[in-house]
Parts: sequence; structure tokens; C-alpha cells
Amino acid sequence: MGEDEKNKKPKLKMAVYWGAACGGCCVSVLDVHEKLFDVVAAADLVFWPIALDFKYKDLKAMPDGYIDLTLYNGAIRNSENQHIAMLLRQKTKILVAYGSCAHMGGIPGLANFSTKEQIFDRIYCDTESTENPEKIKPQHIYKVPEGELELPIFYNDVMPLDQVVCVDYYLPGCPPQTERLLEVFMAIVNGSELPSKKTVIGAYEKSQCDECERKKTENKKIKKFYRPWEIEDDGETCFLEQGVICLGPATRGGCGTRCIKGNAPCRGCYGPPPDVSDPGAKMMSAIATMIDANDPEEIENIIEQIEDPAGTFYRFSLPGSILRRKVV
Amino acid sequence: MEEKRIGVYVCWCGNNIALMVDVEAVSEEMKKLPNVVIAKNYKYMCSDPGQDLIINDIKEHNLNRIVVAACSPRIHELTFRKALENAGLNPYMFEMANIREQVSWVHTNREEATRKAKSLVVGAINKVSFHEPLDKRSVDIDPATLIIGGGISGISAALLIADSGNKVYLVEKTGKLGGHTANVDLTFPYLYSAQQMIDFKIKRLINHPNIELFLDTQIEEIFGYVGNFETTLKINTAEKVELKFGNIIVATGLKTFDPSGIEEYGYGKLPDVITSSEFEKMLLHGKVQTKEGKVPKNVVIIHCVGSRNKNYHEYCSRTCCMTALKYSNQLRSALPHSNIFQVYADMRAFGKGCEEFYTQSSRKDIMFLMFDQQNELPKIREAGKKDNCNLIVEINEKLSGEPIEVPADLVILMTSMEAHEEAKNIAHAVGISMCGNDFYIEKHPKLDPVATTTDGVYIVGTCQGPKDIPDSISQAEAAAARILAIILQGSVHVEVTTAFVNEEVCCGCQTCICVCPYTAISFDEEKNVSVVNEILCKGCGTCGSACPTGAIRCRHFTDKQILSQIEGLMSITLEEV
Ligand SMILES: Cc1cc2nc3c(=O)[nH]c(=O)nc-3n(C[C@H](O)[C@H](O)[C@H](O)COP(=O)(O)OP(=O)(O)OC[C@H]3O[C@@H](n4cnc5c(N)ncnc54)[C@H](O)[C@@H]3O)c2cc1C
Ligand code: SF4
Ligand code: SF4
Ligand code: SF4
Ligand code: SF4
Ligand code: SF4
Repeated sequence: MGEDEKNKKPKLKMAVYWGAACGGCCVSVLDVHEKLFDVVAAADLVFWPIALDFKYKDLKAMPDGYIDLTLYNGAIRNSENQHIAMLLRQKTKILVAYGSCAHMGGIPGLANFSTKEQIFDRIYCDTESTENPEKIKPQHIYKVPEGELELPIFYNDVMPLDQVVCVDYYLPGCPPQTERLLEVFMAIVNGSELPSKKTVIGAYEKSQCDECERKKTENKKIKKFYRPWEIEDDGETCFLEQGVICLGPATRGGCGTRCIKGNAPCRGCYGPPPDVSDPGAKMMSAIATMIDANDPEEIENIIEQIEDPAGTFYRFSLPGSILRRKVV
Repeated sequence: MEEKRIGVYVCWCGNNIALMVDVEAVSEEMKKLPNVVIAKNYKYMCSDPGQDLIINDIKEHNLNRIVVAACSPRIHELTFRKALENAGLNPYMFEMANIREQVSWVHTNREEATRKAKSLVVGAINKVSFHEPLDKRSVDIDPATLIIGGGISGISAALLIADSGNKVYLVEKTGKLGGHTANVDLTFPYLYSAQQMIDFKIKRLINHPNIELFLDTQIEEIFGYVGNFETTLKINTAEKVELKFGNIIVATGLKTFDPSGIEEYGYGKLPDVITSSEFEKMLLHGKVQTKEGKVPKNVVIIHCVGSRNKNYHEYCSRTCCMTALKYSNQLRSALPHSNIFQVYADMRAFGKGCEEFYTQSSRKDIMFLMFDQQNELPKIREAGKKDNCNLIVEINEKLSGEPIEVPADLVILMTSMEAHEEAKNIAHAVGISMCGNDFYIEKHPKLDPVATTTDGVYIVGTCQGPKDIPDSISQAEAAAARILAIILQGSVHVEVTTAFVNEEVCCGCQTCICVCPYTAISFDEEKNVSVVNEILCKGCGTCGSACPTGAIRCRHFTDKQILSQIEGLMSITLEEV
């Protein structure tokens, strides 16, 4: 072994896994493009089912704490998600909840407005394209002549990662901005001092409006709410001042205001600023102050115009909010 | 972080609480909670021995947070905060659970009441765990006072403050002092001359070295806060004067009701139907006569014109009944042979010397006729050729139940007092509120009748509500005394449970700015963050609930404190479910 080889830092062992996810988060890791060489130079990918051929038994065989860094994306929807999350926790030094789904439940978390039964009824029996006269639905255990088949248990609740295991850091975004991932990754590789545990990394303390280049004033007076396609956006004025709900004020910066730059309002994927535990509630009370009416009936009429308020204000955060789910 | 050591004290309030709440069970239960070092119950926590219990325990057991479960914090929060201070603890490391007004007084099932009391106390313990010590703050007081309005109220306050050696700026929008009092001839019930009273005061005021008078002047905007206000007066559009002052008295007075909208009375169409103010003018000129210059044989005085009626003003104008009796007396002396009719809705003769004035006036050959103010106003019409008078007043007389017609040559309408149309401009300039009738609202209707919710701003006289001259002067002098007390102290304490902005988090969305009812928040363009002026802030909490980032926090009511309190409130119930 030459001198150079000896002085080289040992390579980081890294894992990427997905729970209830869409795949976007894994793609965002691939999105490092040419920077992939830097990553590969600094890290060995020891487990990443979407991209590399590893098996469950490989993971099981690793000693505890073997993996330096795991990016777990996706929410916890079933017993398989939870099982692997717990296994990864055991094998990993730094476990990162990666992406909105792992952070606060994300888009899959909106299922918490329904029950398991409602979801199964809809998916396996009622959709317009379903033909299922016997109403066959997935079972946890199913007996066939060859023996017993077992499927993961589908939970009634979708949960963010930290409701089943201890999480070291959160890296929000749907998906996270790749630059933010690289910054965090390089910081870990270079041994920089990491922030205190259980905090959000790869995002700013300040929310979107701070970075947003649209003109904003104190004059946020809303007489009518519009969906983005219902107005002719002037491209310059704060969305809220045009009556379009923008979750920017209650959403951490870090994405580079990418939606707003594309002339769409922020939908909140970067999650709430540091001291906020329920971004939906915060944004609703902020919006309430902007309604330009004093008459209770008129106020009600204006509020009625908000399409799908629960889905709008809790789009990425329902399971991780105080609300958690709809009570049935 | 310092270890949390909480002391919990459950009060019996004699039998008030103890009969309905098992105080022993409550204090025992609290002993089980983390960080609770001591939990006791005692007969009267607010008594000296009760307070000593807390003080001694703080010293002996090194307690650093206290919860008292007793009556409403409105009654004894200050008492217990003082006790903490006496024991060397910051007074804000305290929380009160109200188990009297909110529990024992309103429930009838002892078991349920005890359970609710426990929940409230756990909530208080949770909240106090996150309390932070807050420091008292004070600001210096500029000894000058601005008085807006030069009626009897403004003049009285000005003289008292100026006599004490302090500067007064008196701003009057018209060219003359005295307000409505200067338009009144004699005053009820002793028939003293209003002119003599007011002239003397005006003369003293004009020559007073400590009073600077601005006639024909109006206030536009006032900046600052208690102790340190400032404004720029525009005089005759050209000249500008900058004033600095520490306190403000609003004494802008009343406006009289315009009765031309009441169809039944024909005011404006029938020349011999006049208002009380117009009648005062006649009295001041010493000549009571009809439009044609004749001596009226029949005079009808109609009460409650614009008062006590849903279509106009629901309130009573308080002075009209007595002013009407005053007119009877003056008419009887001036026109001994005339017929005088008091057409009234209810005779309201409260106040010193007033009932006596009524008894005495009723002996002067005056006819009293009652009408139904809510449902049927009297009607005035022109008299016919054959009638021996100018006008006829039709009344459904309430006591006799008979419809009657009264002859009249002169009808006096006792018009109500109302707030000025531009009352809201002044309200806006000084930061005070108005009630539904546009009169200004006092800080507390019983306990703090001349102060307002804006520190350093007082309301006196008829701008606060209808009243007579002695009541106006009492208020004026009360406000002057309040201000002198503050000037003597040299500084005042300002609210400490204020809001503040965490600049690291504020995103500059400016949602908070327009929600603040005290205009305490402004925007710092350079830093792109909002800023709370903590002297203007009253800690109302509105901004805290509006801010979407959690950057504005209200001291003593942070999200963390409130959420943990809610969690505590629910813990007992959840346990049992
Ligand atoms: C016809 C009549 C008869 C009455 N008879 C009696 C009686 O016999 N006995 C009795 O006790 N009471 C009587 N009153 C009531 C008495 O007049 C009032 O109680 C008294 O005048 C109230 O004084 P004030 O200073 O509060 O208001 P006002 O007399 O109204 O004085 C207010 C002053 O403020 C000025 N002002 C208003 N707005 C502004 C502004 N924006 N800026 C600057 N200056 C402003 C006004 O020009 C005025 O000079 C009578 C009232 C009326 C109308
Ligand atoms: S956070 Fe967004 S991109 Fe990532 S898995 Fe969830 S839905 Fe997909
Ligand atoms: S609300 Fe949206 S559009 Fe308006 S400033 Fe904030 S991020 Fe920009
Ligand atoms: S603008 Fe909002 S919704 Fe869009 S990526 Fe950024 S944080 Fe997510
Ligand atoms: S707490 Fe109330 S008074 Fe203080 S700044 Fe906020 S809104 Fe204004
Ligand atoms: S509402 Fe909050 S984030 Fe927005 S400007 Fe005010 S303090 Fe800053």
C-alpha cells in the first residue's frame, strides 16, 4: 500500500432506502449528476435497493452501527416500512429522514384523512376501472395449497419516520434540492461539526418569502381566493396579494423558491420553520387575518372559496402535525 | 438548564372551593407529577399566612416555579406575584389555575368538579414549567400634557395641571373657548349662570403662564407612547408647531342631535319648532318669542328627542329632563301667564338636588303629559284658522290613555347629545376605541372610567358619553390627578408580557403589521424583518397567532407554553378514557 492510500480517510458507508415513497427522492439522489463521482469517491453505497442489487439478508448480516449514513425516504405506511426502518436504525450511525414523506408524512400522509377500510374499498372495489365482483382485498395471511403467503400489514395511519424510530436529522423537500443534499453529504465527509441532533438540515431557518423575489407589502387583503390557473399572474406580485394561496410564509427556505420561480405558489414541501409544530394551523391563522371582510357571512363565503383546505394547508405535513389524522 | 422545582398550592377559599372540590385529592395527585417538589392545600392562600407558606417553601425548598389553584387571576395574580418577589423569585415564574369561578362556583357534581380542577392544575404546572423570568421596564415621562378640546372639561383639566407648575398645550378647533357650556344660560338644578362660571375659568386660562393655547387648530397625527408623545400642529396652513408631551386628555365633547329627520316633529318646516340649543340662545338674549316676534302663550317642551329610541339613539342623554325643567322655571318667571306643557317619556331626576328640583318645579302650574317613546311619538301640525294658537301637538297621553291635542305657539325639542362625526379621526390619532355610539371607550367601565386602553391617553367629559357639567368637571379633574401622579413618579412601568420578533426566523411577509390593534409593529426595510415597538405593544397576542413562521413570540404566552398547557389540560381526561 502506497503512502497516499494509507493517508486516505476510510470511505463513508452509506445506505438509501424507501418506505411509502414515490421514487422521486431516490431520483434526487441520482440527480447529483457528475458530482456522483465525488460521492462515489467518498462513500461506498452498501444498501440501495432502487439502484444496486442488495438483498434484505445483506442488511441483516451487517453489524450494528456498520452504516455511517442512511437516507431513509418515504413514510411509514405498513409493517415492512417499519421493520426495515428499525433494522436500518440499528445498523446506522446517522439516520436522516430524507424528503417530505419521511419528515412529516408527505403526500402519502394525506391518506390519514381516510381509514384503511375506506382506502381498500376505493382501491380494490370502487374505482371506475375496477372489476372485482367478489370484493377480494389483500389479506395479511393467505393460505394457498403450497402453504401460507404473508403480506405486510397495511396500517390505518401513515406515520413520519420519527414516529417509529429515533431520527438524527431531517432533510426536507419533495424531493430535497440536490444541492442541499450535497452540502450535507460533503459536511459529513469532511468531518465538519454537525448541528445538534433532531434538527432540520439542508434547509434555512427563514421561510420562502425571505428569498422570494416577488414584491410583497403589508397589504395582504383577500376578497376572493383564486386557484393559480384562475388569474393572470403578473409574475411580480406576491401570490397572496393576488388571492392565490402560497404556503411560502410557513415553509422553510432551501429549495431556491423553485416553484415560485416557475410561477406556481409554494405548496409547503420544505416543512415548517424551527419553532412551528403545525404548519397547517399556522398558515390558516395567517390567512384568516388577510380576509378582507368584517361581516361573518361574507367571511364565511370567502373561506368557502378555498378548494380542499385540509389538503391545501396540510399537503405535506398531516401525520407529523398536531392533527395527525382525521378522527373517525 | 437549572432544575425545575415547582410548588403547588391549592386553596379552599373557605368553603367556596373546598365544598365542591376535593382539595386534598387535588394536591395529593399533583405530588406525583415530575418536577413538583411540594403540593399543599390551605384554607386561604391569599391571606398573609397563606402567602407566607409560599414564601417559606421557596426559601426552604429552593422552589423556582409556583402554581396557585384558587380564584380568578384577575383577583389575586398580583398578590401572589408580589409574594414571589418577596421571596426573591421573579414574579413571572408563577401561574394561577382558576378552580373557583371556573370550577366550584359553576358545577354541582363534586367528583367531576374535582377532576376538572385537577386538569386545570396540571395545565398550569405544564405551562409554568416553560415560564421565563421577565424584567420590569419603565419609561421617563415628559411632564407636558396635550389637551384636545376647550370646553368646560378641557379647561378644567388644563387649569389643574397648569396650577401644579406643569406645561399644558390646549388645542381647540373653533375660534372660541367654552364649548357648549358657553351657549347655556342658567344651569339646573340651582339656576347658577353658566356664563359666570365659564368666563372666570376662561380668563384665568388665557393668562396662565403654563398654558399654551391653540385656537382654530386640529390634531392630525400623534406619534409615540406614554411619556413620549409628539405631534405637529398646522396653524392657519402656513405655520407649523412641533409639540412633545407625555400624556393626552381627549375632551372633544358633544354634538347636538339634528331633529330634522323625525317626521312627526316637522323641525325645519314649522318655524316655531326649535331645539333646546336654539332656546338657550333666546334665553341668553333675554327674549322668548315666536318667529313672528310675538310672546308665546303656550309653550310645549318635548323630551327625549333622538334619545331612548331604536331609530335614533338607544341611550339616554342624561341631561335633557333636568334642562327641560330648568326651562319651565325660566319660562314661568319670564312669562308668568303662559301655559307650559312638559311632554315627557319618563321623568329622570337622578343626581344631587334634581328630584327636589322636580318637586319644586311641578308646583309651578306646569302640565305634565306622558307619551310612549318606543311606539308613538307626539305629532306636531300647523293649527287651523279657528284655533287660537300656531301649532297643535297631538299626543296619545299614556297615563290617562286618552288622545289629546295641546295648543302651542312655541315647541322646544330636547335634542339628544351625540358623538362628533369626526370622533374616529381623533380616536385614530391617539389610538383609542369607540363604542357603537361613537363615544370613546374607557379602560374599564367601573374601575377605570377615565383611562383608556392606550397608556397615557385619558377621556373626559361628554366625548365619553352624555353627562352634565359637574360630571364633566369631575372626570376632567380625575384625569388631571392621574396625570399629575404619573408626572410626580417621573416614569411609568410598561407592559412586560410583550411580543418580540426573532430576526433569525422572520421572513418579512408582513402579515403581522396590520393585525396589531395598537400599531406597534413596523417593517425594517433594510433587515427585511418586522419590528415590535415594545412600549406600544400591549401583549394582546394577535400578532403571535397571525405570524406564519413563529417569528413573533408573545412573552409569557409562547406556543410552547400554551401547547404544553393544553396537553396538561387533556392528560387527566385521557388517562381515564
Ligand atoms: C342645550 C343644552 C343645555 C344644557 N344645560 C345644562 C345645564 O343646565 N347643566 C349642566 O350641568 N349641563 C348642561 N348641559 C350639558 C353641558 O353643556 C355639557 O355637560 C358640557 O358642555 C360638556 O362639556 P365638554 O367640555 O365635555 O364638551 P363641549 O362643551 O362639547 O366642549 C368640547 C370642546 O371641544 C372642541 N372640539 C371638538 N372636537 C375637537 C377637535 N377635534 N379638536 C379640537 N377641539 C375640538 C369643541 O369645539 C368644544 O369647544 C347642556 C347641554 C346642552 C346642549
Ligand atoms: S418526499 Fe416527495 S419525492 Fe420524496 S418520496 Fe415523498 S413524494 Fe416522493
Ligand atoms: S407568500 Fe409566496 S409569493 Fe408571497 S412573498 Fe411569500 S413566497 Fe413569495
Ligand atoms: S417552493 Fe415550496 S413547494 Fe416548491 S419546492 Fe420549494 S418548498 Fe417545496
Ligand atoms: S402582541 Fe398585540 S399589541 Fe403587541 S405587537 Fe402583537 S398585536 Fe401588537
Ligand atoms: S408575520 Fe412573522 S414572519 Fe411575517 S413579517 Fe411578521 S414577524 Fe416576520
